[in-house]
This record gives sequence, C-alpha cells and structure tokens, in this order.
Amino acid sequence: MYAVLAGGLVGLSRQINGRLALSTSAMESSFWNHAVGLGFVTITALLIGGLFAGEPQSAPWWAYLGGPVGVVFIAAGSWLIARIGAAQTAMLIIAGQMISGVMLDLILGAPGNPLARITGVALILTGMWVARR
Amino acid sequence: MSDVVHLPKPFHFAAAFGAGALLTLMVLFNGTLAAYGSLFFSSWVPHLTGTIAALIFLLVLRPKRLRSDRPPLWTYLGGVSGGLTVMLTSASMNSALALSGTIALGLAGQVIFSLFADMRGLFGLPQKMPGLRDGIALGLILAGSLVLIFFGGSV
Repeated sequence: MYAVLAGGLVGLSRQINGRLALSTSAMESSFWNHAVGLGFVTITALLIGGLFAGEPQSAPWWAYLGGPVGVVFIAAGSWLIARIGAAQTAMLIIAGQMISGVMLDLILGAPGNPLARITGVALILTGMWVARR
Repeated sequence: MSDVVHLPKPFHFAAAFGAGALLTLMVLFNGTLAAYGSLFFSSWVPHLTGTIAALIFLLVLRPKRLRSDRPPLWTYLGGVSGGLTVMLTSASMNSALALSGTIALGLAGQVIFSLFADMRGLFGLPQKMPGLRDGIALGLILAGSLVLIFFGGSV
C-alpha cells in the first residue's frame, strides 16, 4: 500500500509543480521543488536522526550528480504536464525510464532474460506508437 | 486553458522519453549514494545540490515568466510530496514486498493518480478526458513495463 501511495505522491508533486510552472517557469518551479524538499528532508532527518550514518564519504564521486539531473527532470515534467496532460506525461516518462533502464543494464552487462527484454521493449514501443496517432 | 493540451507532438515525445532516461540515471546515482550512506542522506544530497544547480540554471537562463499573477502559496509545496515519496518507498522496500513489486505498484499509483488528475483538472491544470487511444497506449506501456520488471531481470 505504501508503494501505491508513493506512486500517487509522484503524480501529486508533478501536478503541483506543473501548476507553479504555469505562473512562473518550469525551471523556477523545479528550484522551489528542490529548495522546499531540502527543508523538509533536513527537518525530518534532524528529528529522526541518522543523516550521516554509514560511510557516505566512500561513495564514488558520480553518485553525487543526482541533484542536477533531478533538476532537469522535474523541470521537464512541469513543462510537459501543462502541454500534454498528466496521464500522457506519466506514461511517456515511464516508457523512457523502462527502455533506458534496459539499455543501462545492457551497457553494465547486468544479467537478464533477453526474450523478456525484447517483449517488454516491443510492447512499450507499440504503446508509444499508438499514443502518437 | 484547455486549448494548450494537445496530443503529444514528436518534441513532447522526445522530451518525455529523455526525462525518463534522466530518471534512470537519477535512480542509479541516488541509489548508489543510499548504498553507502543513509536513506536520508541519499535524498538530502540531491536536494541540496539540485537547489544549487537550479539557482545557477535560473541565473544563466533567466526564463521569462509566462504570467504576471502570483501563484497560490500551496503550489510551492510540491517538494514536500517529493520528500515523502522517498520515505514511503523505503518503508515499502523494507516490507515483505520485493523491489520489483514496489516499482510495479509505484507505477500503478502514479498512473491512477494522473488519470484522475486529468479527468478533474486537479490543482488548476487543464482538464482532459482520456480517450480510448490513451487507454490502449497506457495498457501496452504498462504491460511492457511489467514484463521488464518481473521477467527482464532489470531490477
């Protein structure tokens, strides 16, 4: 149930950010999303504790690049949702995430079932083709 | 407002698809961070560096405001919802549900919410009734995603 709720929250935040972008701009909306989220995570982490637990200093440098990537991702979502709607935005982002995930797995040489990969990617591409009319 | 909503154009396709690819990278980066540090840390760092990156983007690009009205205050709260997502995801990953189940249910939640949001025009965004074509496309993309999640060995 938590997982379904988490998915719904992704949609909720995209909807709210999209509305903010209507009155401002996609990038400004992305800035506020991150700034307010930073405040929220900081307060929650301070209340619960354990922010610097583990060995974060031994993580590879590229693991710290998620922020700038996320900024462009959130801005893109805010820009798209006002133009093609929430459902189209969600399904095309899911399609891109899934297919790029397969490509990343292939690049990293992760084990996987080739037949399932081909079937899955073919179904997704067909779905995108249907959506583009 | 409803006149801004069209069927996706090739550029929209490319943008959404590219955004999905960015999401894959983001999950890889943040997930790697979570493997070394705490879950809070893996959400705190990208929010911090993201805030700085967004500020730089804003200073360099100086995007024009589309409208001169002041947005309602609640529109600034999208980040809270995003922060909650991380905690709920971790809560569900620590439950009996496997990672693939968490991802599949997350996709379901996202799609159900977005369909409902379109039908009602939630939070001041344009209203849009999903048609048969949307339903078929959505069904195919979800079916393909489920095949990849449960049989593709990609997660």
